[in-house]
Amino acid sequence: MRATTALVILLPPALLLFTLFVTLPIAQASWYSLFNWNGLGPVDRFIGLKNYKWVFENAVFQRAVFNNLLVIVVSLAVQLPLALGVALLVAGGAWGSVVFRMIFFLPYVLADIAAGLIWRFMFDGEYGLVGAVTQALGTKPVYLLASDPWAFSAILAVVIWKYFGFHMMLYVAGLQGVDKSLLEAAEIDGANAWQKFRHVTLPMLGPMIRLSIFFAVVGSLQLFDFVAALTRGGPFDTTHTMVSFLYYFGITRMRVGFGSAVGDVLFVVCVAFAWGYRRWVMRDD
Amino acid sequence: MSIRTLALASCCFVALAAPGFADTTVTILHVNENKAAVKIWDQSAADYNAAHKGVKVEFKYLENEAFKAKLPTMLQSEASRPSAFYSWGGGVMEAQAKAGFLKNIKGEVADTVNTLSPTAVAAFTVDGKLYGLPFDTDAVPIFFNKALFAKAGLKPEEMRTCDGFLAGVKKLKGAGVTPIVVGAGEKWPMHFWYSYFVMRIGGAQALADAKAGKDGGFNNPTFVDAGKRLRELAALQPFQPGYASTSHAQSAAIFGDGKAAMDLMGSWLLGMQGPNASDGKGQPESNIGVMPFPTLPGGKGEIGDTLGGVHAFLVTPTASPETVDFLKFFSQEKYAKEAAEVGAYIPVVNGTAGYIKDPLVKQIAEMLAKTKYHQNFFDQDLGPSVGRVINDVSVEVAASRMTPQAAAAAIQEAEEQK
Amino acid sequence: MTEAVGVFEEVGRPRLPVAAALRLAALVVLATIVLYPLLATVLDGFKSLGELHDNPLGLPRQWDWSNYWAILGGGAYWRVLGNSLAIALATVFLTLVVGAMAAFAFAHIKFFGDRYLYAYLQLGLLFPSTAAILPVFIKVRDLGLLDSYWGVILPQVAFALSMAVLLLRNAFKQIPSELFDAALIDGCGYFRFFRHVTLPLSGPILSTVAVIGFVNSWNGYLLPLVVLDSESRYPWTLGLMAYQGQYSTSWQLVLAFITLTILPAILMFLIAQRYIVEGLTAGAVKG
Repeated sequence: MRATTALVILLPPALLLFTLFVTLPIAQASWYSLFNWNGLGPVDRFIGLKNYKWVFENAVFQRAVFNNLLVIVVSLAVQLPLALGVALLVAGGAWGSVVFRMIFFLPYVLADIAAGLIWRFMFDGEYGLVGAVTQALGTKPVYLLASDPWAFSAILAVVIWKYFGFHMMLYVAGLQGVDKSLLEAAEIDGANAWQKFRHVTLPMLGPMIRLSIFFAVVGSLQLFDFVAALTRGGPFDTTHTMVSFLYYFGITRMRVGFGSAVGDVLFVVCVAFAWGYRRWVMRDD
Repeated sequence: MSIRTLALASCCFVALAAPGFADTTVTILHVNENKAAVKIWDQSAADYNAAHKGVKVEFKYLENEAFKAKLPTMLQSEASRPSAFYSWGGGVMEAQAKAGFLKNIKGEVADTVNTLSPTAVAAFTVDGKLYGLPFDTDAVPIFFNKALFAKAGLKPEEMRTCDGFLAGVKKLKGAGVTPIVVGAGEKWPMHFWYSYFVMRIGGAQALADAKAGKDGGFNNPTFVDAGKRLRELAALQPFQPGYASTSHAQSAAIFGDGKAAMDLMGSWLLGMQGPNASDGKGQPESNIGVMPFPTLPGGKGEIGDTLGGVHAFLVTPTASPETVDFLKFFSQEKYAKEAAEVGAYIPVVNGTAGYIKDPLVKQIAEMLAKTKYHQNFFDQDLGPSVGRVINDVSVEVAASRMTPQAAAAAIQEAEEQK
Repeated sequence: MTEAVGVFEEVGRPRLPVAAALRLAALVVLATIVLYPLLATVLDGFKSLGELHDNPLGLPRQWDWSNYWAILGGGAYWRVLGNSLAIALATVFLTLVVGAMAAFAFAHIKFFGDRYLYAYLQLGLLFPSTAAILPVFIKVRDLGLLDSYWGVILPQVAFALSMAVLLLRNAFKQIPSELFDAALIDGCGYFRFFRHVTLPLSGPILSTVAVIGFVNSWNGYLLPLVVLDSESRYPWTLGLMAYQGQYSTSWQLVLAFITLTILPAILMFLIAQRYIVEGLTAGAVKG
């Protein structure tokens, strides 16, 4: 069979599916975003960049962007260090390491929406863990998910609970690649535990850490399921993320032009980050 | 597992899931959670199916939020389009008609129409075209817990004016009672309060004028004042703790548990507060009172003006002829009478309101009979995009996160942008 | 598999049992925080609503099995699981077939523009499907696939292709090209080579792609939420939220439902831990 014949059979399905459901829709989103369209009937009310103006002026969207940034910052400052710390404790053969690794990884396997609902119960002012605590203390019930800013802090807590195990596993795999002889050499040279960590282990973990940051950021930009399960954007639309804003203010209200503009903005942010990060930060990995 | 087995397995699964083809199916989509009402509807469907071989009429329930979010897309694709669906009429219905999703059934139902209340039928007629058959109507009074009122030494007569109402709220707070429960997590329950303030201040013409763009449209003193009144009420902190994320069902549960004194809600609350309460039974009817929304000093609205809806099942263009036939069957006095007797809802078939036995439902029916101005829910009347905005701003104004002026301006802006 | 180098390998055997005890204490505390919500969900499904309120933290005083039996006995639970399974299996199957075909072409056949086409397919790695959800919804609607399984399966496959082709192509390239050339000379066609050489050697990478694809599809929420309308087609994620919407004031029922719907995932994880962990993390690392 000639190469050309093989190509004609092997390539088109993938290219077709990909173009039809990935690249074409993205291109069309840019087109729709220039119109005031509610998804029904012809696309005929051209308004240029007005949708983008409305998006950036929208207070809820601005809060959503802020929330997305908050997730990234907290991920990098809290979640990843926690994952690294735990990885150091369970990467080796010390007692129970394998079991603990599995326990910490377990939340990652669950669906975001299920994890979100479980924690919605935990945070419930009357029935959940929070309710139990206030009952035990004899204080009035506290409704964390109904107050700004505690509601989003609750979402942040769930993000950490669910994902730190994944990053931990990445670091465990990375620690696998640390050459023991290098550590022994450092010890011979008189390095203590902290110095060995800082000058041998950490640099060797570099590629894995950079990868982990990549996933943390991309994951943060996609946050939707937690919002849908925990707060639906409330209270007072303060816990939206860009994707949930797209869903609640674009899709459910049938403002397709407006929603497409939001999607376009999100797309540009994702691509800019992914491309720039890979090019400059992960260049040598 | 070899690839071949995987392929076979997944093909089988997907094939099994393909819909079967049997009789003509008539699907009617609705949001009613009231078990008594749904029971009557299912009964009517069963009766019709028994009498008409080869036809299967089915009522399908979809949760309120999902219904509002999904219906537009369902209407667009022939595969998922229901034969008929529950509607509150108003601007939402007009948008659906404009997009070509509704069928004009006026010619086919002339005789049935004569048996229904004329105002109800008018609510579903646009430009002379009738899109569905109405079956019930409801109103939004203030439901109150008699025992809690007594505890605070409060009499409902004191609450007929705004000043009296606010004083009453303070009395309830003083007695350690949560004055008002509102499911603000879903936003629309809060907009009931805002709507009534608009109605009491601006009277019967206020909304119509605003829609017509008179006097700045929605950006006028009536709407701003309504916002101020809402803010004034909310400043007393009358709502249950955590109200910003309470769902509608939870608010019914709170009222049913006797944890709040008042709930500004539609008559369907009577069917909800029991099942949702912690003990599954809720407040006995003897302990529930019904009173109208208070009047405002200098306001054009009267105490008898009511907020509420008329509901119909609207027909879609590709629905089978059996759909309209069933709707006519459903509009018989028999089912309306049963609904009235059981207190499931207030039917619009002429003369059947007299069969209502439940005292509270009877009281509400009387309010409806006497009212000179019955206003459809604002968020339905104004259409999908503006309606959502009025829900948004009601909650924001109540929480003092948005000024009444900004709120009125936002509604006007949404109207212009739609 | 070489064991990773944990901190205790670095510092050597802990001279003081204190260090070991501290480590254990920290890990146990963390494990409790991780596991408690899951345990609470399972146990509280056995309580009545009243007991949930009065006895939130303890074991159920009376083990009320009715919540669980009601859900297991109703049709909805099995239907949503079946839907999820059908969608996930179809997604994985299509991803593997279509992805392997393209990966094979990129790995072994040099043709004009092959680098550009490959880079094109890799574009999908730059942004998540959530960013494109609205136009994908419009596309699905325009193709008449709204409210159908294919409306969920096809976009999922399309978005999985970038990663799948990347992983598969890199794996296929590991097979020495001399072997491939020799086979061609001997008259072995592309497809026979694929069936008899490439596939058998690619077990691990195929299962990696399969695991990633299955887990992502199984846990998917936004795409089916937007595409599906009929409750009869809901996967378990939508079914869960619909159930919660209907019984929102009865937490004990919702918790029982959650428990039953995450049970398959937990069971799969317990049975195939190594498999799943390696699949999900190796995919991430190599991607």
